[in-house]
Amino acid sequence: MKWISLIPVFSVGALLLFAAKDFPEWGDPHSPASQSPVSSHFINNTGVDTEVPNMVTAVLADYRGFDTMFETVVVFIAGIAVLAILKGSGRRPRGRHRSYKLEAEPDLIVTYTVRLVVPVIQLFAFYVLAHGHVSPGGGFQGGVVMGASFILIALAWDLDHALVRMSLPRCMVIAAVGIIIYAGIGFLSMFMGGEFLDYAELERLLPVSREMARYYAILGVEIGVGFTVASIMFALYANLSSEGRLKGGL
Amino acid sequence: MDNAIAWVLLFPLIGSTACALLGMVNRKLCYPISVLSMVAATWASVETLFQAVASPTAEVSYIFGGWVLDLFPRGVGIEFRADLLGALIALVVVGVGLIVSMYAKLPVEKETPKKEALYYPLFLLQITGLAGIALTGDAFNLYVLIEVAALTGYGLIAIGSNRAAAATFNYLILGTIGASLYLLGVGYVYIKTGTLNMVGIQEVIATNGLHDSPTMQVAFVLIGLGILIKMAFFPFHAWLPNAYSSAPTTTSCLLAPLVTKVMIYVMIRMVLTVFGVEFSFESTLWSEFMPWLVVIAIVCAAVMALAQREIKKMLAYLIVAEVGYMVGGVWIYNYYGLIGSIFHIISDACMTLCLFLATGIILRACKTTHFDGLRGLFSKMPLTMIGFFVGGFSIIGLPPTCGFFSKWYLITGGMVAERWEYMVVLMFSTMIMVVLFFRLIERIHLAVSESGEDLGKGHGDLGLTKEQTKFEEAPLSMLIPLLLAASIVMIIGIYNQEVVDQIERFLAPFNLPKGTGH
Repeated sequence: MKWISLIPVFSVGALLLFAAKDFPEWGDPHSPASQSPVSSHFINNTGVDTEVPNMVTAVLADYRGFDTMFETVVVFIAGIAVLAILKGSGRRPRGRHRSYKLEAEPDLIVTYTVRLVVPVIQLFAFYVLAHGHVSPGGGFQGGVVMGASFILIALAWDLDHALVRMSLPRCMVIAAVGIIIYAGIGFLSMFMGGEFLDYAELERLLPVSREMARYYAILGVEIGVGFTVASIMFALYANLSSEGRLKGGL
Repeated sequence: MDNAIAWVLLFPLIGSTACALLGMVNRKLCYPISVLSMVAATWASVETLFQAVASPTAEVSYIFGGWVLDLFPRGVGIEFRADLLGALIALVVVGVGLIVSMYAKLPVEKETPKKEALYYPLFLLQITGLAGIALTGDAFNLYVLIEVAALTGYGLIAIGSNRAAAATFNYLILGTIGASLYLLGVGYVYIKTGTLNMVGIQEVIATNGLHDSPTMQVAFVLIGLGILIKMAFFPFHAWLPNAYSSAPTTTSCLLAPLVTKVMIYVMIRMVLTVFGVEFSFESTLWSEFMPWLVVIAIVCAAVMALAQREIKKMLAYLIVAEVGYMVGGVWIYNYYGLIGSIFHIISDACMTLCLFLATGIILRACKTTHFDGLRGLFSKMPLTMIGFFVGGFSIIGLPPTCGFFSKWYLITGGMVAERWEYMVVLMFSTMIMVVLFFRLIERIHLAVSESGEDLGKGHGDLGLTKEQTKFEEAPLSMLIPLLLAASIVMIIGIYNQEVVDQIERFLAPFNLPKGTGH
């Protein structure tokens, strides 16, 4: 009966292809989408409005910063939800089924390499986060790289070893702080007299122009995103890999 | 206050992070924080509604990030646009959230012990997401907020038991498919129109005559299909009954009245604001065949509700039937049908809330929600049962509850649009609901077991000991929200004209037919 599920798959696929023939030509100047001033506004004014060379970052964190705040919240929710579902519900390890005692000591070569690599990875995470204004990167990417460095520690030694450095309550605190940083910058601009997330109003707090205020505020919210993403990445790994028991290795 | 519309979302958002942080220090802090942030959000939502009513254009527009909208079409920056419809639905969402947050204390302590610091953040973020859906004026922002609402929903249901986690898995798969279809549709709209702002999309469609463009038609189908899955319209309802009946009490009290209703709001928003009346009703065939699907949906859901022997399951199928009512009210393409549909969103949210709150109390007192466990409950907890009956009477549609008036408009719409099939099925399902609720009332008052065997010894005897019928009302923190919800059902019923006036003012610019649409 599994083939029945192919029917909706193919019909939706056919529908999508049917619509694709009506797409505007690449770069067609007369299509409604090209005539819409929205994308040309982004292209022409990003530099003027925000001083950010990387247009994607400006659209992501400033023009559509409200979406990005909720994307960060989604990451936060994922962490809380996994914790909520797995906490206390983990089946006790059954004797012959699967023993969570490590059979062997952590491998010397692996641990030694990881010890060398992790600081570099973490430094690179900061670079990706801070360099998002100019090159591809930003809070999400930097956060993932940062989270991966902790996962690497957990893989090379075991989960306990990583949890000593980054305990789960600490993860949740950092994640919540990330949201607070993002929303806090929004509130700050609101209290300075603008709309929520109107970074330009922060010029009254910073000794810079309105455009540079947007520039720095984008960095600020990216840091908030990085906090949340990094800690939730690791919290998800720690919970899922141990079915909520937070013990043992893979 | 200028920022009221933003505060509707921001209060629960701050509340959730505060719960997550302070809840680690002391779990007892979560409950007061959540009630407090909901009170504040309700205030902001009432303020937004008053602003919308007072403004000459009947809407409040707010652009995040301080970007300007004077471009044509709009679309730089994300706009929150509360017209009367959005503001009303947001108030319903936040109001239900407030009542459930007051109710939450004891059930959460009992059903998800030691998880308060995780439960309340999810709870508040759920309300954030749903209120945002009602207020946003941006098609992609809507998707992000649907995601927020959906993910918190999965967490809130699965937190309960292993059975709930299994039910959530179905919900998760179907919900993800629905959201993906919506996102695909929005992508297609963006390729064609170059803007994501809802009013902007409508402007581009109107000025460029995109009514017959295959891309837009397919986008409409994808978005419509995605929303129908998310709202548990009949063939796609499979996730709902199990998820809602196995969820923790507070979760089902929050999700059952809101999630499906908010998705119907999204459908109305897409039909009226994004694609426009002309596109949705004239250029597509939906208004031809949807009423017939609605007929099938209502009949099947009502019959399945009749087959249940457990209150929560029965209510879950009732929700599926009610979804059919509202979808039908939209697609009969009639002014009165749409009034009925919008009004029914509001009244259905209130009465479903009422029923689920009462069911939560029954579950707490009797440890079961099976029909057989209800005997003698009226003498035990009369106030709870009155709340339950008010909700039930409203579902049936007895005046002066709000359910009567919204159903009245739906039936009127079916009649003047000459969609007799829709009218007949409404009557049919009303009769089934009469059977459903009077059967329950019989179970509660009379000594008849499920197999029809008489357990009592004659008139007024329930066949129970004095102990079992002793007056033992529910704790006040649960009873007060229930009575509040019940009185709201009555108040909206009595002041129905005020609500309808606002809905009529919202619908006036759309020039919907007041007779048959063709």
